Amino acid sequence: MANKFPAVNREEIKSVQVLTPRLQKLKQQWEDAAPQVYVDDTLLFTESWKETEGLPVDIRWAKAFEKRLDECPILLRDGELLAGSLTKFIRGNGTLCAMKPHEILKMVESGKFDRKTSDTASTNITPEDLEALRQDALYWIDHMPKVSTVNASVAFEMGEEAFDLLFDRGMIFEGRGVRYSMDRGLFQNYSAYGGGVAQVSDKCIKVGLNHVIELCKKERERMMAEGDNENSHGAAQFLRKFWLLKACIISCEAFIRYAKRYADLAREQARTANPQRAKELLRIAEACERCPAEPPRDFFEAVQCVRLYHLICWKESSDRPEVPVGRLDQILYPYYAADKAAGKVTAQEAAELLGALWLKIRECENLVTIPREQRAAPGSLLPNITLCGVDAEGNELTNEISWLILEAMAQIKLSEPAIYIRWSEQMPEEFVTHALECNVEFGGGNPAFLNDKLGTQRYAERDVPLEDACDWCASGCLGYHLNSMEHLGGGHNLSQLKIFEVTLHDGFDPRTGKQLGLHTGDPRNFKTLDELMEAYFKQVDYFTEKLHMFKMISLSTEVADGPMSGLRCAMQFDTSIKAGLTPKEGGAKYPEGRTSWLGSRGMVDLADSLAAIKKLVFDKKVCSMDELLNACDNNWEGREDLHQLCLNAPKYGNDDDYVDEIYDELSTRVPEIMTRRVDPITGKKPILFIGAAAGHVGIGRAIGALPNGRVKGQPTCDAACSAMPGMDVNGPTALVNSATRGDYAHEFCGYALNMKFSKSVLNTPEKLANLSALIKTFMLRNGWHVQFNIHSRAELIDAQAHPEKHKNLLVRVGGYSAYFIDLPRELQSEIVRRSMHDEI
Amino acid sequence: MQGTIFNIQRYSIQDGPGMRTTVFVKGCPLKCLWCSNPESQDPEPVISNRYTACKKCGKCVQVCPQSAVELTEEGVNIRRSLCDKCGKCVDTCFYDAMHWTGEVVSVDKVMKTILRDKMYYETSGGGVTCSGGEILSQPDFVAEIFRRCREEGIHTNADTCGFGTEEAVRKVMAEADLCYYDLKHMDPEKHREYTGLDNGLILRNLELTLSLGVKVVIRVPLIPEHNADEEHIRALAAYVKGLGEGVDSVCFLPYHSYGENKYRMIGRTYPLEGLRKLTEEELRRAVEIVEGFGLRATVSK
Repeated sequence: MANKFPAVNREEIKSVQVLTPRLQKLKQQWEDAAPQVYVDDTLLFTESWKETEGLPVDIRWAKAFEKRLDECPILLRDGELLAGSLTKFIRGNGTLCAMKPHEILKMVESGKFDRKTSDTASTNITPEDLEALRQDALYWIDHMPKVSTVNASVAFEMGEEAFDLLFDRGMIFEGRGVRYSMDRGLFQNYSAYGGGVAQVSDKCIKVGLNHVIELCKKERERMMAEGDNENSHGAAQFLRKFWLLKACIISCEAFIRYAKRYADLAREQARTANPQRAKELLRIAEACERCPAEPPRDFFEAVQCVRLYHLICWKESSDRPEVPVGRLDQILYPYYAADKAAGKVTAQEAAELLGALWLKIRECENLVTIPREQRAAPGSLLPNITLCGVDAEGNELTNEISWLILEAMAQIKLSEPAIYIRWSEQMPEEFVTHALECNVEFGGGNPAFLNDKLGTQRYAERDVPLEDACDWCASGCLGYHLNSMEHLGGGHNLSQLKIFEVTLHDGFDPRTGKQLGLHTGDPRNFKTLDELMEAYFKQVDYFTEKLHMFKMISLSTEVADGPMSGLRCAMQFDTSIKAGLTPKEGGAKYPEGRTSWLGSRGMVDLADSLAAIKKLVFDKKVCSMDELLNACDNNWEGREDLHQLCLNAPKYGNDDDYVDEIYDELSTRVPEIMTRRVDPITGKKPILFIGAAAGHVGIGRAIGALPNGRVKGQPTCDAACSAMPGMDVNGPTALVNSATRGDYAHEFCGYALNMKFSKSVLNTPEKLANLSALIKTFMLRNGWHVQFNIHSRAELIDAQAHPEKHKNLLVRVGGYSAYFIDLPRELQSEIVRRSMHDEI
Repeated sequence: MQGTIFNIQRYSIQDGPGMRTTVFVKGCPLKCLWCSNPESQDPEPVISNRYTACKKCGKCVQVCPQSAVELTEEGVNIRRSLCDKCGKCVDTCFYDAMHWTGEVVSVDKVMKTILRDKMYYETSGGGVTCSGGEILSQPDFVAEIFRRCREEGIHTNADTCGFGTEEAVRKVMAEADLCYYDLKHMDPEKHREYTGLDNGLILRNLELTLSLGVKVVIRVPLIPEHNADEEHIRALAAYVKGLGEGVDSVCFLPYHSYGENKYRMIGRTYPLEGLRKLTEEELRRAVEIVEGFGLRATVSK
């Protein structure tokens, strides 16, 4: 089947000016604005919590949301085409003290608030706000549970020694809910809902929230009239549903009122504005008066509606609001096509409006309390946009909005939102070229390309019917999910490289000085590489069992101790209302994403390490295992000869069978072991997440020198199938061959290949066509995710030395783009080391 | 069958259409002043020192049975007259600084590398290019690679300076789908001055190649103060025009000095040190002149 929508006039798209003078001015204001700590929302939350003492926790959560929407300051800046400001500042960094009072208090007392744009300055705060924030934090420290429920449960079920595996100790486990001593606030875990984020719901946009409210009311009436005659999942669930539906109604009504506040404000401003501005303001007023209560009637209302949905999903989240925007081209196109046919909108007007949306989305920031270098995705808040894709009938869905969105991205050049293109063979060739031209213009790896067929196949393999399996979008850092049909959870990860280090020490961990794993034997006595690999696989099995138990405990305590969110129930109303559960708790149409993915990180470093051992110890016999392991334990000190031999051993990424065969075996055996244990909620094999994203910096810090030649503490390889930085020397085709050699990408999501190209490789149409063909080959070989950083090495090195001159230098890190100067130093250096494909 | 090569470059995007694999054979009869692959001129494999990787540990000095390797202030120096190419220094170098430039390989081995990227040739309309050095100095080897490529349905491009026997030209061109043919200077004396040999045979071979029905792209390395003046470009264009329909286009390769450090690696000095680069205006003008003759002209970027 071919493309579903009419062909696009390329010239018309290329001629649009996204940054009109008024948007240029707004962008400049954003760039010049200092980040400012925003406290109004946390104070309102606390006030509401005090007012709702004694009520069911689901209602308290909804009321706190309602209070924030009803009473937070709102404003419309001069020249703004869309309403919906997250805070009263251009760059306001909001927070909820209730979720992390100790961390906030620490910041208040140090007077240093982390600032996303550089290490040298802090986010500003007024003295009054500083004092208010201090009081707020102190209140919550007093009113918080004194003991972490997750930690108590883990200790009860697994024993104190389980903590040695966690993030800040042995670091075998990494990722969600596994921080041993972190301040987790009121609900004692990752966030109010135990990780996971809300998503802009195209279903709600289409029906309007009045309809959702009506459904909730009817269901409540039915419950009163009939009782549990439909025999739901038990009395507890039935009874709680009574409150959840109320919470849903409160949240939807609050959202509608919030939009109407903007309508009122716009009308008021229109009274004194010049005629042109008055017209714009009245357009905003009309749209906000109608939406989200009722469905949008035209393109403008649709864009305005998307803006407000994104904002309130963000506002309701407590800690890390990674709200994906979703399939924006599919949401907006029907309205655009109708308006354009009717002569109501031009490509230029649409482009400007998309630019305005871009600027509003970029406004979303929050006050990050985790130190920069410990964050999984530093410098990003992950409001991902997904484009294109093939539907259940086989139609390719690229449309004019997909084109315009890329053009807006390239012209505005802001680090976020990140764009993901669902690449398929049916995609028009000119669109891929357009995407690459925009990538060159943008520089830092935007857009990324995902394999459409594979994304759909993974869900289809797990019994999701095709019409839903094909409706997926990118979320979080390297994740993806079914569009408003799943809960979006975080990952529970095993650091494979750490397990390998432990295997090299017969189960002992040099970092904690404890025996963390099984006794699988001293590798000095192994006669073959296979013996070592089998020992490692035994350890993987052992730690997977531990993680399996840990996961059950952490998920169950989240459910036991968190409120249910009426807003999230509303976003997936078609299944949540009936079930009486939020998506997280089983109200989603599909449970697949519910339990979060089981991560596996460090496979490339592992394959390279095994290849070096095979070559030097077993094949060439240039050193003994004893010498090699001692050299690693001493971080190569005094053994620079061995260090160099290890660095020069065969490396993954060069299309070299010697090491790629080892990588193959790892990539087949490890998933086989890890998926042996079913996902506790679905009862099916879990989807594995293999992306290292930016977590590789933190993971690397806990691991000593290894036979692949890495030195102690160095970051591990950057993404799941990227080569060790600087070690892929046979060019892009060899790297792609290594990365797509076996048939395992369908088991993994997050399985990303980062490639770095010099601008001179992409400076002619012929060269762009070659890159397009490279993507095609990658996808035909069943690669999952590929993205390109396009700049020169000199530029990056200069940016490290002179950050002030490179404020706008964008790079792709893992699942997102970020300003280079925002990144921790280690990560910067790691990016500089990655091989750049240049001309010879 | 075996041949001597000095590199196989994958994802070549400058040596013909699409994504290609370029096999660089060793040995060239010309000694162009601007040569950016000086290590390719000698037909035999040589040992070179990648001075940027060298840590001056001195291991190579110790193991050399001929005492040909010495460590100086500037780094490792190989006294070529003493070196018998035993390769002990290469084997002992941890840093991969001492290394072989050039190796004797079988056609089978070359094909193995070529075939690894077959899918990329298909998606991009690419193929295989043999370049050098000079391919006509190893005609049987190159022709065999091309023949095997064609069996696999892979497009072949012969990149040549044109200096070789008639037999060599016939052998190679019989298996080529496309030919990149270098023209360096129209004047025989200037040609001898810049490359060491005159252009008589080269021009005859070009006409022979065209008569064999191979599509030809004329490639002109454009070197300031050597062959980039308008008068010369006009003479060249007039000549190419006279060759008739077989010529696809003229492609200018603007002078660059990227090969400069390679001279140091193999113990030679760079003949064109300090030579300026061409201006955009000069390039534009060169294209304009060629187009004036009704020919297609491009600049390699």
